[in-house]
Amino acid sequence: MSGAGAWARRYWALMRNAWLVDFQYRAAIALWLLWGMMEPAIALGIWWGVAGTGDVAGYGRADFARYFFAVMLVNQLTIAWDSWYLDRWIRNGELNFRLARPLNPVHEALADNLAYKARSAGFLIVLWLVVAAVWPPVRLPFDPARWALTAVAVALAAGMRFFISYATGLTAFWTTRATAIMELHAGLSLFLAGRIAPLALLPPAVAGVAGVLWFSSMLAFPVNLLTGAVQSTEALLRGFAGQVVWLAFWFAAYRLAWSRGLRKYGAVGG
Amino acid sequence: MVAALWRVNVAEELQYRANLVASVLGTLFNMATALLTLALFFRHASRLGGWDYWEVVVLLGVFNTLSGVVEAILRPGIGQLAGEVRSGSLDLVLARPVDAQAFVSFRRLDIWRLSDVVLGLGLTGYALWRLGSVPPILALIAFAVALAAACVVVYAIWVALMSLAFWFVSVENLSVLFDAVYAGARYPVSAYPGALRFLFVYLIPIAWTTTVPASALTGRLGPETAFGAAIVGIVAFLLARLVWRAALKKYTGASG
Repeated sequence: MSGAGAWARRYWALMRNAWLVDFQYRAAIALWLLWGMMEPAIALGIWWGVAGTGDVAGYGRADFARYFFAVMLVNQLTIAWDSWYLDRWIRNGELNFRLARPLNPVHEALADNLAYKARSAGFLIVLWLVVAAVWPPVRLPFDPARWALTAVAVALAAGMRFFISYATGLTAFWTTRATAIMELHAGLSLFLAGRIAPLALLPPAVAGVAGVLWFSSMLAFPVNLLTGAVQSTEALLRGFAGQVVWLAFWFAAYRLAWSRGLRKYGAVGG
Repeated sequence: MVAALWRVNVAEELQYRANLVASVLGTLFNMATALLTLALFFRHASRLGGWDYWEVVVLLGVFNTLSGVVEAILRPGIGQLAGEVRSGSLDLVLARPVDAQAFVSFRRLDIWRLSDVVLGLGLTGYALWRLGSVPPILALIAFAVALAAACVVVYAIWVALMSLAFWFVSVENLSVLFDAVYAGARYPVSAYPGALRFLFVYLIPIAWTTTVPASALTGRLGPETAFGAAIVGIVAFLLARLVWRAALKKYTGASG
């Protein structure tokens, strides 16, 4: 057979292989996105029924739709999962060889986190555009200034959630039940961060706690900023201030847990 | 064979009584979260899909019971399949002289997670008491049949989900996806708008796992529902078997 034909076949094989590898990769990302979409979709389904033709504390069906689509997007952009593997590494000794490397593992974790978000964010935004084209309730008014502010809030929230995840993972230095701490935090954030419902629907005392602690800063504030629920300059400044304060707090918590934890880890001969 | 496998597991597990405490506390925390979520919905509505509060709690108890079955048997068994396909250790499993599907599905019994089943049934019983409802014997039989069928449907969903691992090898966290989708079974299917209702009845039939048994128990659906549930269970099992066979053929065929 001529050289050209053989080369054509080789390239076909290479391209097919690359496509298959890429496909597997994309399938994995698609499944993670699907996972992230289920909770807001279910919550939206229930509130849609509750709201009926009227509204619930000022939220009508369209408002809920906008809110939960925003939750889907912001959650994907701010989510962190480091607590789970850190707990595993510390418990089964896998942390050791990573400590021997010159670079603190936190950098690789952060880079990995950002890369994942870059990949999945594009997909979600496209999905929102497509849905908005056929389903009016999720449409947002064209407001680039608001979107820019939201981007800042999302970045702050993402940083905060990263350090929350990292710090809670590091509690594995002191307890075998670090996953219980993570589950507790997840359970609280279900209500306080606004995952199950907009904070306005919670009993006022509970919503107050969410505002005082870091929970509203980690999800509810960026979401409300995007949907336009945050209007006044005062609310805007208060929201950003809260984010900055809690980001600093959790960064400090991470640093403390890391230095103290390593000392303890080393002392045990780990 | 299953009994023999489980005897070994149980003997191991009984040494770790701390796991029971952790398991029970975890389940109670999840139940509390679920009840608080329900309270939040009912703060703004008097009914959910036509069901009142304690009726939904009956359903929540069924959900917890099935979750117990998932955690005790399904996740440690067939839930490991995706990882094994990826790591290649599935070959060791397939080399055994027993039916692979039966072995993979029932190889482990995390006995402490059965506490979820007890707590779930307990919650259901309590909710029935609060409703002031005493189910007639036919309703109880229908409930038992529907619950058994529900277990089979949940099993079939796991088989279908895990079988994805044979075609998309890199999807390791399929069992986490199950949790996210199955959370939809916490509420009666009538509470959802049309699209989600269609999804949960026909595509990923989780409505059959909680809404139907709970309805049979509270009398929303008559005892003849048991027949429908049984049929759905049988069909689900057969479909799961077919999917398993196809997946296995692909797996063993590819490596030759």
